[in-house]
Amino acid sequence: MCCERCPGATPERIGDFARRRMLKAAVFQPSPAGGPRDAGGAQRDAGGAAGTGGTAGGGRVRAGAGPAAGGAGGARGAADLAEQDGRQTPPAHLYRSVTGQVLDVSPHFVTIGFPGGERQQRFALTADATAWRGGPLEPAAVWPGDEAVIRLVPSRPGVADRIWANIGRVSGTILRADAESVVVSEGITKRERTVVIPRRAASRIQVRFPRLLPGYLIDVIGTRRGDVVEALAPATSQPPYRSDQARPQGRPGGLIPEAITGSAVWHDALDEPYGMLGVCYPAVDPAAGCAEDQAAGTGPGQAPAARALPYLAVGSALLVRNDCTGLAWTLPVTGCAPTARLFNDRCTACHPGDRCGACQASVRGRVADLTLASFVALGGELERGCFNATITIGR
Amino acid sequence: MLAALGDVQIPLVAAMLLGGCASKLFQVARRRSFDAALGPTVLFPIRLRRLATRVVCACELSFGFGLILTSGRLLQGWPAFLIRLGTGLMFVVATCALIEVRSVRPDVGCGCFGEFSVTPITGRTLARSALLAVAALATIRLPPIELPRTAGGAAALLGLFAAEVLVFVGLSPEMRELLVSIGYSQPCELRAISPEQTLAVLQRSAQWRRHRGQIADNRPVDVWRELCWRYLVFASRSGDRDALAVFAVYLQHRRPVVLSALVDSATGAVLPWPAAAPRRAGAWWPARPRGLPQPALPARRGTAMRARRAGAGANGAGPGGP
Repeated sequence: MCCERCPGATPERIGDFARRRMLKAAVFQPSPAGGPRDAGGAQRDAGGAAGTGGTAGGGRVRAGAGPAAGGAGGARGAADLAEQDGRQTPPAHLYRSVTGQVLDVSPHFVTIGFPGGERQQRFALTADATAWRGGPLEPAAVWPGDEAVIRLVPSRPGVADRIWANIGRVSGTILRADAESVVVSEGITKRERTVVIPRRAASRIQVRFPRLLPGYLIDVIGTRRGDVVEALAPATSQPPYRSDQARPQGRPGGLIPEAITGSAVWHDALDEPYGMLGVCYPAVDPAAGCAEDQAAGTGPGQAPAARALPYLAVGSALLVRNDCTGLAWTLPVTGCAPTARLFNDRCTACHPGDRCGACQASVRGRVADLTLASFVALGGELERGCFNATITIGR
Repeated sequence: MLAALGDVQIPLVAAMLLGGCASKLFQVARRRSFDAALGPTVLFPIRLRRLATRVVCACELSFGFGLILTSGRLLQGWPAFLIRLGTGLMFVVATCALIEVRSVRPDVGCGCFGEFSVTPITGRTLARSALLAVAALATIRLPPIELPRTAGGAAALLGLFAAEVLVFVGLSPEMRELLVSIGYSQPCELRAISPEQTLAVLQRSAQWRRHRGQIADNRPVDVWRELCWRYLVFASRSGDRDALAVFAVYLQHRRPVVLSALVDSATGAVLPWPAAAPRRAGAWWPARPRGLPQPALPARRGTAMRARRAGAGANGAGPGGP
């Protein structure tokens, strides 16, 4: 079964992921004496130890990885997963986000319209609401016509406290470059993106990305106009190697910790369904046939696995915790994260992965590439590009 | 020779107890919490697991030191008797608990040596625990240990001790994790094993042989991997209903654990495996039925084994492989 594209979770496939969890639960759960067990019982346990609010321990990954590998919060994790499978709505204590075109804005309200133009929604703004369009500004300064991501206050679905207007991000390998723009490939499953680097931001970007040359990596955040992104700030530092020189790490030694810390980033996928929740994981089982690996001619097991991350499948449950906000949520793996892998080290001595400094310096290396909605739900600030994260493999 | 064999049991059992306690405390220190469920403690309600872990650690520590302190002429008599009896009973209880854990939670390790004991419980783990119980119970009436007076006696003692240590090392799945932790071996979570290799391993396993008759197509309809397990799903039938046969294969090269279940395609309900043709009784230890009603106890052991095999169902587990 080949599926490991990024994005890979189509609504049709979400049913497959739920079925995998159910089958896994069936294998690991003992049957109650006296007869077969209903699927609901199996699915109730599927969250297992990956419940919301898990802690960053330094323990060992449970090799068993059974669906109910113990621990408080299992029911919560299962409930979260069920929610993802169905309504695609974050739990009440997490942020929700809506994306649409700004139709009207005032200091107290913002009205956005959704694709198709038939539906619109009005949100009240909190007194301390802020906005971003290339830089911080008052919400009233957002223009009608801007494409906005609006963050809603937890448990108050009609109230917004943050607006990002026209925000875009490009992260990938430079294909072509000239004096003012670069064309970037974000992977073979995505369209090429054009990045324009304005004069006012050029020096800031070139400090972190000195080699704007074909073959080198770039990761910038800016304002989006159609398919073109005007880069305004670097999202990380440039690795010193070309992307085609990336190679697998040497054989790692030592036990794999149960909770892995690093940097979680978001991706701006134009082709991704609106509001999709999930995480692209840099170490999807190479034997599963990731489209990126196949295109690169990488053999099974030869894909650069990004640090020592344990192999998972599309559909696996991953507890992602924002260490800056303390918010955590069990998300399904929706695809491989080819760009995150490239940004992770090929050589720990020369570039040991990028580091996120959202609240404090994180451990180096990207461990999760979240969808925009998931990133916002966990309290991430889109213009910062990352947050310090702890991931725990869901049971 | 028998006296020498008895003499080596006490230091060996004490070392196992103190090693187990130290590794558990090391894991607790790393996590800064007793919350981690270690092996049989998963049988307890969540609120009691911390207490259970503490009790197990305390028992191991006190029995370990108690065995050493009562091994000589000091504290002989009732103290030595009680310590050794307690140790033996603890290992008997531990063996029973491991059998139960293997039945209800086949994915978890025994937790005997903390984070090194994550490999699912197999017959080797049970055999080690049972041997330790026998070793501990065999020391109950042991006279005080005295140092050998001749070089030959010392060499025989050391040889016996080394041989027994080798036996326990051979029965310990923790050795693999130890090699991983020192960087000599690759952790199974990172091991690149192709689905074809996994399929070949599965097809050599006892689980596959037992359920081969129910598999409609030898090509899996879905294969995926999570951490140390690869899951293979095959089309199957159960009566007049479409079903899915699910196998979970632990990704290790030698004698991997293979678990299986039969699931209704439409409802997702776990179904009992249809009764398989009985094998000749007495050839192997009977497969333990899991979660199914126990058959009435027949008069003859062979009949009982045949009956159990026929009833082995939904969640059979055990080492497979060649």
